[in-house]
Amino acid sequence: MSSPSITGEATEEAIAILPGVHAREKAARRTGHARRTPVWAILVLLVSAVYFLLPLYATAAFGFSTGKHFTLQPLWDGLGDDGFHTSLWLSLLYSVVTTILALAVVAPTAYLVELRFPRLRATVEFLTILPFVIPPIVLVVGLSSMYGINSPVNLIASSLAPVLLIGGYFVLTLPFTFRAVDNALRAVDVKMLSEASASLGAGPLRTFIRVIVPSISLGLVSAALLAFTTAMGEFTLAALLGYPTFPVYLLNVNGFQPRMGEALVLVSFLITWAGVIALAAVARRTPGTQVVRGGPM
Amino acid sequence: MSRLELIDINKRFGGQVAVSDFNLTVEDGELVSFLGPSGCGKTTTLRITAGFESPDTGAVMVDGVDITDLPPNKRGMGMVFQGYALFPNMTAAENVEFGLVVRNRPIAERRARIAELLELFGLAHVSTSYPHQMSGGQQQRVALARAVAIEPGVLLLDEPLSAVDAKVREELRTEIRRMVTQLGVTTILVTHDQSEALSISDRVVVMNRGAIEEVGTPAQIYAEPRSAFTAGFIGAMNEIPVRVISGALGLVERDGRRVAAPGAVGLLDGDLALLLVRPELLEPLASSVAALNGDLTMTGNVEVQTFLGATTRLLLREVRARTDDPMAMSSTRRLAVDVPSANAGRWPAGSEIAVRIPVGASRVISDRSAASRQVGTTSSYPVAPNA
Repeated sequence: MSSPSITGEATEEAIAILPGVHAREKAARRTGHARRTPVWAILVLLVSAVYFLLPLYATAAFGFSTGKHFTLQPLWDGLGDDGFHTSLWLSLLYSVVTTILALAVVAPTAYLVELRFPRLRATVEFLTILPFVIPPIVLVVGLSSMYGINSPVNLIASSLAPVLLIGGYFVLTLPFTFRAVDNALRAVDVKMLSEASASLGAGPLRTFIRVIVPSISLGLVSAALLAFTTAMGEFTLAALLGYPTFPVYLLNVNGFQPRMGEALVLVSFLITWAGVIALAAVARRTPGTQVVRGGPM
Repeated sequence: MSRLELIDINKRFGGQVAVSDFNLTVEDGELVSFLGPSGCGKTTTLRITAGFESPDTGAVMVDGVDITDLPPNKRGMGMVFQGYALFPNMTAAENVEFGLVVRNRPIAERRARIAELLELFGLAHVSTSYPHQMSGGQQQRVALARAVAIEPGVLLLDEPLSAVDAKVREELRTEIRRMVTQLGVTTILVTHDQSEALSISDRVVVMNRGAIEEVGTPAQIYAEPRSAFTAGFIGAMNEIPVRVISGALGLVERDGRRVAAPGAVGLLDGDLALLLVRPELLEPLASSVAALNGDLTMTGNVEVQTFLGATTRLLLREVRARTDDPMAMSSTRRLAVDVPSANAGRWPAGSEIAVRIPVGASRVISDRSAASRQVGTTSSYPVAPNA
């Protein structure tokens, strides 16, 4: 069966970063034909839904149960637990810092690569996908050797220790954040916008903040989302560097209070989703970014 | 506003010459067009002027001050880009305001200026619209308003009308001319559209392969082109090979007929030359035997009629009177003749027509390569793809 045909213009039209599906729907609508959804598509959707929803159901069934009947007691227990509050706060704090750091570093870097150093693109892209090649466990070992107690730069024992964790999170988010920002930059004519801004007297910093950032806001939101969720859900680095973040706490709780643990897993799931929806809502309200031109992601 | 001088500008990209020995002075308040085919260096010259490219050698001066090393944001030049380059996150009014905000102008002044410019460009009703909500013509007007909002010393227009449709293009053309006159801003317009350059410029700089081919007023460039390139590039031009009989007297010969051609004065005797005649200057004759007064005539069969509105262009395949002339190799030369559309019915495709070539009013340029160009050449008249 052939996939719905999309005109050449429509394939170029983008595929905005966050509401990608939305853009695709728009493109398909432009072709002027309402198409019947193929049976195989519905099947794939159903199988996917079962695949994703079944574990959630199982988690809820286990977490909200005494073993015989439904109860919300494990949830109340979890929400009242001190460990829950401190670990969630820690995770939120580190995730927010990681997100800000990722945006602050990745966005200007990607902009400069696009505008001034296009020849460096391949190198930068390679560097950003390294976390896919080097597993977090190797990263931890490297960080421990580099900044551990036997190192001249002994960060682990200092008050700057969280920098290691946040730095590690930052590295892990690079493959996602760079791509999201880079795609957004390539979808607008960065060079022309920058030149237009310069011709009106704006310096590079003002151009970046007032012209480029708002033009790629969807990409930035997408990057922020990916950085935040990656940091929120990261376990290996935090556990091995000894930080009681939320995922580490969840694993511990699961060991001795499994029902409470499962109930809190659902809470973390809801928190993540609330974040996703909030950011998506912000993105949709951003003027002038409804349609982002560019290649398919 | 400002006097702009481009002095000995040279620029190469890799091994490719982009701009070569470019020298030009644009006077205060003058509108000068850079006209030429793609890759002739016109946009590169404009970008060097704006500061987006730096020249390998040479200098850019404004009012006698060398600004060659000044970054673009310090040059105070307004620029309009081919693709509008409006900021997508800002409304029309905010786009216009941007340069004023950068300059820290007080809010009251900014508001007054925005209102004035939006009014001037007929944009008041779209002031709160975002670029994606505006038509191409409106976007280009916003781009123009934004560029002049900062009261630039020099305004640079990089093919500003190439992305809008034909009707809007004509309107905007007039608006640009009106605006430049009204504001008195020194302006450079880059275009590959000769009608655009001729219609609104004070002077036209014809460029070819990175160098200036010639500079002149639109009338000069059109009526008295000094090079075969300009003649061929600006408007439609018939090139008729002749031989110079006397460079001293201004006599040329074609098909054994000698005619006076003042344009040939100064050319070498015996040289091959090209007689350049606009299609609208060729006069159809009532009969092919009419040329008794020393005029040059040509007879041909109408191959194609192209309706151009008020006039119709006839494309003739020439029928040569003599074949023992060395130049008779080009016996299938084509000529374009413009006739009033009302009369075009007299010469349907396939019919024969004789035309008088007003030699006295025509340009004659030396064509030392004419002999080689004759061989195998069937047409020197550039036939438009749609003709």
